[in-house]
Amino acid sequence: MEVNCDTIKHLAKLSNFSLSDAEIKSLGGDLNSIIGYISQLDELDVENIEPTYQVFEMENVWRADEILPQDATREQLLALTKEEKDNQIKVPKVL
Amino acid sequence: MKTANKKVTATRLVKDALEKAKHFEDYHIFTFLNEEGALKKAKEIDARIARGEKVGRLAGVPYALKDNFLSPEGETTASAHILEGFTSPVTATAVEKLEAEGAIMIGRTNLDAFAHGSSTENSYYGPTLNSHDRARVAGGSSGGSAVAVALDIVEFATGTDTGGSIRQPASFNGIYGFKPTYGTISRYGVVAMASSLDCIGFFTRTPEDMDLLMSIASGQDPKDMTTLPDYYNEAVASAKLDDSRLAPARPFAFGNSRPKGRALRGSGAHSAPVVADGLEPSNSCTRIGIVKEFDNDSVDTEIREALKEKCELLKSKGHEVVGLEMPTLKYALAAYYIIQPAEVASNLSRHDGIRYGFRSENSTDLDGLYEHTRDEGFMSENKRRIMTGNFVLSSGFYDAYFLKAAKARTLIVQEYEKAFSKCDFILSPVSPNPAFKLGEKVNDPVAMYLEDLMSVSLNLAGVPGLAIPAGKTKAGLPVGLQLVGPRRSDKRLIEFAKELA
Amino acid sequence: MKYIPTIGIECHVQLATKTKLFSEVDNDARGKEPNSCVSPVDYALPGMLPRLNGEAVRLAILAGRAMNCKINLESRFDRKHYFYPDSPKGYQITQFYHPIIGAGYVELPSGKRVAIEHAHLEGDAGKLTHFDTYSLVDLNRVDTPLIEIVSMPDIHSAKDAHDYCKELWRLMVYAGVSYGDLYNGNMRFDVNVSIAPEGATELGTRTEVKNLNSFRSVERAAEYEIARQTKLLESGEKIIQETRGWSDATGKTTGQRSKEEAKDYRYMPEPDIPPIRLSSEFVEDESTKLPLMPADYRKKFGGKLAGDTLEVLLDYPELMRKLGEVADEGAVLLSNLFASVLLAEEKSAEYLNDLPSAEDLNELCKMNLDKELSSTATKDVFLHLFDPQMRGRGTRTIAKELGIIQENDMGALEVIVDIVLAKPETAKAQADFKAGEEKVIGFLVGQVMKESHGKANPSAVQEILRKKLS
Repeated sequence: MEVNCDTIKHLAKLSNFSLSDAEIKSLGGDLNSIIGYISQLDELDVENIEPTYQVFEMENVWRADEILPQDATREQLLALTKEEKDNQIKVPKVL
Repeated sequence: MKTANKKVTATRLVKDALEKAKHFEDYHIFTFLNEEGALKKAKEIDARIARGEKVGRLAGVPYALKDNFLSPEGETTASAHILEGFTSPVTATAVEKLEAEGAIMIGRTNLDAFAHGSSTENSYYGPTLNSHDRARVAGGSSGGSAVAVALDIVEFATGTDTGGSIRQPASFNGIYGFKPTYGTISRYGVVAMASSLDCIGFFTRTPEDMDLLMSIASGQDPKDMTTLPDYYNEAVASAKLDDSRLAPARPFAFGNSRPKGRALRGSGAHSAPVVADGLEPSNSCTRIGIVKEFDNDSVDTEIREALKEKCELLKSKGHEVVGLEMPTLKYALAAYYIIQPAEVASNLSRHDGIRYGFRSENSTDLDGLYEHTRDEGFMSENKRRIMTGNFVLSSGFYDAYFLKAAKARTLIVQEYEKAFSKCDFILSPVSPNPAFKLGEKVNDPVAMYLEDLMSVSLNLAGVPGLAIPAGKTKAGLPVGLQLVGPRRSDKRLIEFAKELA
Repeated sequence: MKYIPTIGIECHVQLATKTKLFSEVDNDARGKEPNSCVSPVDYALPGMLPRLNGEAVRLAILAGRAMNCKINLESRFDRKHYFYPDSPKGYQITQFYHPIIGAGYVELPSGKRVAIEHAHLEGDAGKLTHFDTYSLVDLNRVDTPLIEIVSMPDIHSAKDAHDYCKELWRLMVYAGVSYGDLYNGNMRFDVNVSIAPEGATELGTRTEVKNLNSFRSVERAAEYEIARQTKLLESGEKIIQETRGWSDATGKTTGQRSKEEAKDYRYMPEPDIPPIRLSSEFVEDESTKLPLMPADYRKKFGGKLAGDTLEVLLDYPELMRKLGEVADEGAVLLSNLFASVLLAEEKSAEYLNDLPSAEDLNELCKMNLDKELSSTATKDVFLHLFDPQMRGRGTRTIAKELGIIQENDMGALEVIVDIVLAKPETAKAQADFKAGEEKVIGFLVGQVMKESHGKANPSAVQEILRKKLS
């Protein structure tokens, strides 16, 4: 299948990229060749095959409901953000 | 592994390593040199040795850390612009374990941004050069780590392998590179690429060093729910070995399976099959499988030669070489380039410029902040994968792509089970060709992806693979092969590699 | 034309766990500083992995059972992707493809049933505070464990919508799944409303009113939407499918703009959390840990109590728990006492925090049944059982000290009656009674009560008087 310009723009939105027209063009080309390649899975018959999401034999892995010290403090974490105010992360207004 | 002692001090070892690192500066191996921190740690270890105190198994051993492992020493950038300025307050479990044994990180190594690539050309900091031919790529994504070990700057380096990122650069630089069974080493504190495929591993120059590092770094971690209970260091064979060796990672079959009851336990209740130990009762004859699909004209003739030679060597040592047909592996790459980008797109969603790393200045509103930060912060290859991932997950395409790939993955798991009922290990090329020229494939994504043809199926199946040096081409380029084993056969695999040396 | 409303409700319930769904930090951020309950996992540093809280899984099982739901033995988590500062990972960990709680139903006090489509475990989002030129992000609430309960569109009136939400609240609180603190957002409701002409086979276009946090606002918002949509259709206009916000102040819903492409959440199986496979034995064991539920109390008191009395009491789980402890023969008397006396009291709330012991309550009932306490005296003693000074001394002592234990000893009563009859001022009344004037008996009983300082049992006194004056 062929992805057109609108699909590329939609994917860019989903990915949160502001792409230049040039980028849309080049990425669009790349995406089409990639999708062309992965579409060869169509040949494969997966009738009645269960999917595998994890190659891992374990199940029911969980922890006790106990408060424990963490690997970083609030101060260490907030120090990583560009703008902080009143112990909160400052972001531009949501339009 | 050369550890520090009274005569050869840790300070000496670290200084030597740092000098060599600087000597090879133009190879673009390191994104950060840890001069102060490393020497400080070296002095501490020397002091303890002087006081006759007990020191770890890696006391004073300098090592290189792939720049996607979190630690407070230097910025963790994953060679990506969007993580610029990020110094982690937390430390990866693997790093903690190595340093607890006295290992000293002398620098962070270059990689394809977020480990997206097979040449280290997708790094925001520029490509790393091949240790044997500066006109060629180091391989990737762990190019910096591979070259650091190949040029003898350090005795070992860490790596991550999602589709070949340890094995391929190891083979391009003529050293050992190990991708363990999925879940053997904790992923906690390692920048995620594709969570269901990511494995932490190492580069070394000997199987012995690899074994030591695995015995140190492996084991269950409460901070990573997908780590297996310790098995690597468990002593010799149990009767369960055969079933467990064949035990697949079971597809998630809803409704079809009658689960065994398991009570909730805080610690986490683990399910059968019982995790097996590493070592098989040393039987003289081991059966080695050769994959027919990987032995054809698409593979460089000199690599095929190297494979033949190793087979002869094994036969001469009384081992048995058997032919394998694994037709489904033909689809591994397509399945991989659906599942991997999907998980990549998801895992990279957290890089938005809000809580850490790079934040674009060209925005006054929130939407602009997101779009410009991510547009300026990611490399083209990151964007390709994120958009491909969002394509295969988007409504209308999920079933045709992601779900189908997950089903193909089941067939690939089963293909390996079948193969390991016929042989103990598989020996195959790592990549179709030796190190290619810089710039040769960087603008052709699919050509670059084809590099991973023979490496990705291991990650899809979660089985271990060890890249081993197998001589050089006439042009002097290293040739590597990979030794593949069933899940949790990691220790036997590394042991057996000695037979091929 | 008559329009029939159809309502479906999604309810988010915060679970009463000590720690968050995926990290070991305090789950109760009430009154705490912003971002003080945030781990590197919640902050979504690179390389951080979720660490599932087993207690949340257990509570989800209880919640499912409380709603008569099938528990799916096999479930797993999925990622729901969207970009917003309240979602540090860029996705919410939820259960889209294989939720832990399957179909079931909730029965309303009216007997109507609302079918549950499914319910799933997921993490809550953080909080944004908006200012004129910027917004501030507090991640304390990130990955607080939630179950989202999705009902079928089985509700056809605002009143039933109200009752359904209230019943859900009761089920979650009685089951111990949630603290049910609505003020602090422990339960939040999204109400989907559509209307269609009577007899129509297809549902109308629906609107969704999001984030309602009281039963009353659910009812009012539903009423408003039904009226608004009816007006639109009657004036020949169309209803737009949209999300609307509710304002308690204005009593109106208003349309909210939402990004069209943001609707594609690209659900993906969560690769960092192994699947959950439960044994039916385990699910059964857990289910037996459910305490008495509203339905059990309705059975227990059904008929014996006025229906509305019971429904009032059911809003006070701790009170119902107490009634569950007392002896059956006294349960009805006490229910009425609680209902009439306590709930009428201004201070009822604080009373509820500190209820009398079952022993004291049982003793109170016994004394009332043995006629040692008149109904007035019973109420009196009952109230004193809440008095910090009095309580602790025990019911009987309190009754004694109040001097309101009734005299039932016929011998002793006869003596008092004789004294009264001997008094000249009662002579006329005695004569009138003998002459057939029934009503003066009341005067005589009153005299005896006076003589006994009110301790005599009036009915016993009348009995003796009649005997002596016949």
